Amino acid sequence: MQALLDGRLWLITLGALLVLVGVNTALQPNFLDPSVLQSNLTTFLPLVLVAVGQTYVVLGGDIDLSVGAIVALVNVTTVSVIAALGGTNEAVLAGLAAGIGVGLACGLVNGLVVAVLRFQPIVTTFATGIVFSGLALRILPDAGLPVPEVFWRGYAGGAFGLPTVVIVLAAVVAVTAVVARRPFAIRLKAVGGQRAAAFQTGLAVGRLRVGAYLLSGLFAALASLCLTGETASGDPLMGQTLALSSISAVVLGGTALAGGVGGPLGSLLGALVLGMIGNVIFFAGLPFEYQTLVQGLIVLAALAGGVLVARR
Amino acid sequence: MPDAPDALTATGVTKRFGAVVALSDARLRVGRGEVHALLGANGCGKSTLCKIIAGTVARDSGDIRVDGEARPLASPRAAEAAGIAIFYQELSLVPQLTVAENIHLGHEPRGAGGFVDRTARDESTDHLIGRFAGVAGDTFSAKTRVADLSPDQRQITEILKVLARRPRLIIFDEATAALDRRQVDVFFSIVRDLRAEGVSSIFISHRLDEVFAVADRITVMRNGETVGDFAVAETDPEAIVREMVGDVRLGPRPGKRPAAGGEPRLVVDGVGGGRLKDVRFTARKGEILGLGGLQGQGQKRLLAGLFGAEPFTSGAVLLDGAPVAPRRPADAIRAGFGLVSGDRGRDAAFPGRSILENAAMASLVREKAHLILARRLSARFDRMLAGLKTRYAGLGAPIGSLSGGNQQKIFIARWLAARPLVLLLDDPTKGIDLGAKADFFAIIRALAETGTTVLIYSSEDADLLSLCQRVLVFNGGRITADLSGPALDAVGLTRAAYGEAA
Repeated sequence: MQALLDGRLWLITLGALLVLVGVNTALQPNFLDPSVLQSNLTTFLPLVLVAVGQTYVVLGGDIDLSVGAIVALVNVTTVSVIAALGGTNEAVLAGLAAGIGVGLACGLVNGLVVAVLRFQPIVTTFATGIVFSGLALRILPDAGLPVPEVFWRGYAGGAFGLPTVVIVLAAVVAVTAVVARRPFAIRLKAVGGQRAAAFQTGLAVGRLRVGAYLLSGLFAALASLCLTGETASGDPLMGQTLALSSISAVVLGGTALAGGVGGPLGSLLGALVLGMIGNVIFFAGLPFEYQTLVQGLIVLAALAGGVLVARR
Repeated sequence: MPDAPDALTATGVTKRFGAVVALSDARLRVGRGEVHALLGANGCGKSTLCKIIAGTVARDSGDIRVDGEARPLASPRAAEAAGIAIFYQELSLVPQLTVAENIHLGHEPRGAGGFVDRTARDESTDHLIGRFAGVAGDTFSAKTRVADLSPDQRQITEILKVLARRPRLIIFDEATAALDRRQVDVFFSIVRDLRAEGVSSIFISHRLDEVFAVADRITVMRNGETVGDFAVAETDPEAIVREMVGDVRLGPRPGKRPAAGGEPRLVVDGVGGGRLKDVRFTARKGEILGLGGLQGQGQKRLLAGLFGAEPFTSGAVLLDGAPVAPRRPADAIRAGFGLVSGDRGRDAAFPGRSILENAAMASLVREKAHLILARRLSARFDRMLAGLKTRYAGLGAPIGSLSGGNQQKIFIARWLAARPLVLLLDDPTKGIDLGAKADFFAIIRALAETGTTVLIYSSEDADLLSLCQRVLVFNGGRITADLSGPALDAVGLTRAAYGEAA
């Protein structure tokens, strides 16, 4: 049992997810209908994306508290660019590109300040998050500015006989699988696991940490585009809970907050677990207020479990 | 037949760290395919020279040629590009990664599209591990996580990590410290195989018998300069020890007191943990007991264990007949231990806080003070600090306004006020000037007169020789010699440090 779980803590997360799916199906018999599954996945997908990006930063021994603010900044940038260019199909593409560019730029700023100027990651990304939020409010002070129909219809629809959200999820899994097989993944874990050893081995520690923040910014941007597809408008206050939820998902997925151990697949499952907890509470008829409480207790339990495993 | 250029020639290498001259004139010549031992007492500069060759420390001046070609060796990468690899005793492995991931870290075998070729990586790792087949243990494979390895397996992993880089010159700094006899034999056969392939090695070891078993030539350093270069076949351990010590004629030692005849105060009974193995000794009341030997042989670990900073994993400690087992420094302080460390920035100073706060801290812990009256405290410490010959602007001045030597006097005052039964000194004279050192020694002697037992580790043998009546010499985590009386001199210390019977 222990050999099986060694380095595969996400198996526990997967088990928890299956239990939640079972309970949810019992409470809500049509849960497994394709349309219901799709609408659930649409709700969960932004957190999945942000959590996957957050995983790389955490693996490298850092943390990114600015991801929620990046989501908001990317959203207002995208809708503003689309509106400014007249809402044509080309304008939508330009808006998507601008959003992704902004996400990468935010990640680059975080990475440079943390890895090159060597500021504390937790304080730095807390502060840059405030700056990004401020920029978002400057660009779009009030919620509004609807996106063209093609944007949200495309997101709600599908291609190749599959819903768009499923394609996005599959693409995320494919990207993480590719990254996991690059030298980058091992070196990043080395940086998070034992920074002095990584340095003495001649690894480009700073560049690896910047790379992790870039990935975090990229995935936050993708999450923002999904949220925009869902809400179909701009909102400078979007995604405020995503930073801490993504860290919860990372922890639930078995990635050590100290760095060096874990992987994005676990975080993906962790994000789905967090979403399913909300579902189950809703369909069990419990007051909504319990959702946060239960999520908090579960994250605490996951942290305690991680510590117990590490101490054995 | 024209001679091939030497693998490495270093001449006139100098290095200063602040006011301290680490190297004044280091020379080293290592032939192609030669195993070259670098020997010397603590602080002779051999580690500094190796770090310069490995590119982790920059030299001030001097010429270093690799295969006849002048090289600046400005960074670890530059040294690696020149074909030089260094074996690190610690800090180079990532515990969360597997053996294969560690060994190939930064040099991962790539397959199509730049993806890591895991099969090739694990196969080449298992092939490397195969060189230690039969002596490395069953649970040791490419896929084992380093966190799950025993200390000897970790050391073997470090060795394999160096070999996987296929260097032309390898620096082995204490590469055999954690290995058992059979593993050392395998390691030596690897070193000889490398020699046959034309790979040169620089070999630092705390065991002269190993040096004479594997090395072709020996360079001896003393006080930052190279004093000689010998062929192993033409010399013997006795001559090498004499070269390391030099011809110092020690007069009567200053401040030497008759051996203490007090009652036993501290009984250490078979403690272990980390490098330490089965260490046992008794220290008496009023005794100043030295912990000697080369650096990193377990002396610091013993002090950290007694002080509760890194608790022992086995054995027992008796203080005045009662067992003590501190799990953290606060326990040790209340039991009556004190510690003065040479690494003031890490272990002692509260930077930016006042001299008074820095001096009072241990007393406050010992007395479990809950309410602190600054006026009463300063009256108490003013008197005590006045006796230390320390000049300061006022008790409220920040600790950083004092020189290293004067800071150290404040930190020892911290313990004088707490009246410890046992004072532990961990390389306390590091980086302090001679005048302050003399004052410092006087304080220690006065403290011992009052019955306090003092345990001192120093990286300078001269400190031990001038302070102690008795020195326990550590080698590989064990006490290998207990020197006192006429046996306690520079030659005896050096010989014992290198594992030669006294």
